Amino acid sequence: MYQAVIIGGSAGSFRVITSILNALPKNYPIPMLLNLHRLKHVRSGFVEALSIKSNIPVVEPYDKDSIKSGTAYLAPSNYHMYIELNKKIALSTEETVNHSRPSIDLSFSTAAQTYQKNLLGIILSGANRDGAWGLKKIKDAGGTVIVQDPEECEVATMSQAALTATDVNHIYRTNQIIDFLLKIK
Amino acid sequence: MSKYELGIVDTRNILKAIQEHYEYDFRNYALTFFKRRLEYMLEKYNLKTAYNLIRVITNDDAFFQVFLKEICIENTEMFRDPSLWRFLMDGFLTSLIKKSTSYKIWFPEVSSGEELYSLMILLTELNLREYVEIHASSISEMRLDDVKQGVFDASKMEVNEANFKRIFRNKELNEYCTIKEDQGYMTPDLMKNIHFFRQDALMEQYPKGIKLIFWRNQMLYYNQIMEERMLKTMNNCLVAGGHMIIGLNEKIDYWNSNKDFILVGENDGVYKKKFS
Repeated sequence: MYQAVIIGGSAGSFRVITSILNALPKNYPIPMLLNLHRLKHVRSGFVEALSIKSNIPVVEPYDKDSIKSGTAYLAPSNYHMYIELNKKIALSTEETVNHSRPSIDLSFSTAAQTYQKNLLGIILSGANRDGAWGLKKIKDAGGTVIVQDPEECEVATMSQAALTATDVNHIYRTNQIIDFLLKIK
Repeated sequence: MSKYELGIVDTRNILKAIQEHYEYDFRNYALTFFKRRLEYMLEKYNLKTAYNLIRVITNDDAFFQVFLKEICIENTEMFRDPSLWRFLMDGFLTSLIKKSTSYKIWFPEVSSGEELYSLMILLTELNLREYVEIHASSISEMRLDDVKQGVFDASKMEVNEANFKRIFRNKELNEYCTIKEDQGYMTPDLMKNIHFFRQDALMEQYPKGIKLIFWRNQMLYYNQIMEERMLKTMNNCLVAGGHMIIGLNEKIDYWNSNKDFILVGENDGVYKKKFS
């Protein structure tokens, strides 16, 4: 049913993402799209850090790369990452949105348009409100949306904002998010 | 985030209207990007609907100039990706620019100017300014006018300075620019002797004999068809052995492209045109 999973996070999300990538099997059949805020001048190191415990390859895509199953695509630093209707990555250096580039809202809303009901969107721990609008777009397009339980989040601003903006399908802790991802594969 | 959303049909209607009225063909721009720019304009200029945008574009030539300016994405900052600029400074430019022959550099879309300003500063620091011939073009007359005057967005000064310091540790960026009433200006000396010209959307007028092209993060806004067409243009205007610099997350990857270009600066997007 699901053709893509898209995850957004900021402060406090790194540990959750590594747990998720560590739990997914090598041939996980759904592409993972990741948009995580980070320092823009730290170009290298982040993919490597995420890859250490991941069973699926983690890549920073080039513009126009095709989206394939069994791969995690991390939005490159200082670029927005759109999902085109032809299921390819499109990068952009347009102005920041809510002080963010990459903007989670832009990745989520373009993925919603492309995958519609076949998209799973997840918002994790974070210190700003980016992603709340995008998560609503996923829900409005018929997709499924999950927010990390604010009680478990290191910083709950992002998940609280998402909960305020959208009537979510599930509020889950990390282990429940992993169980859900393993169940839908 | 824009309050207004356009459907694919609306977007295509706008493209068609522009093409019929002005003979500017944007149909091979990347669709998601183009749609988002249009939505941004609907909000910024209080137009609200595709119908209004088409009406104002086709009835008001001055607004069409504004439209062209908005379609040219601003360069994000000066010295974006400092590692590239360090690579250029640490021997790359000095080994290529010979004092006996002219070294031609082209910026096909100079946009908001930060890439050009960064290079002019670097050439000045390397004492190479007088040995290069710089060509800079844009599809937007308004963008060109701003860049000729060395204008930049002062709100980016903090990030510009941070990047500058990563390359020139003991210098200050304000040796090269000033801020007046929230607007940044490069010093007039820096912008002397640059050949500016307006470009059509398909870049059918291009300079010949170019030895270095700065074309970073521009292919992002094209679809595959346009990207390949433009790369052929770039290949035609470069001399054999000349270089082209593209964005860190762009690549040259068309059928048989390895016969035309070879990647020489893997982490910095620097390609070289092969000798045939």
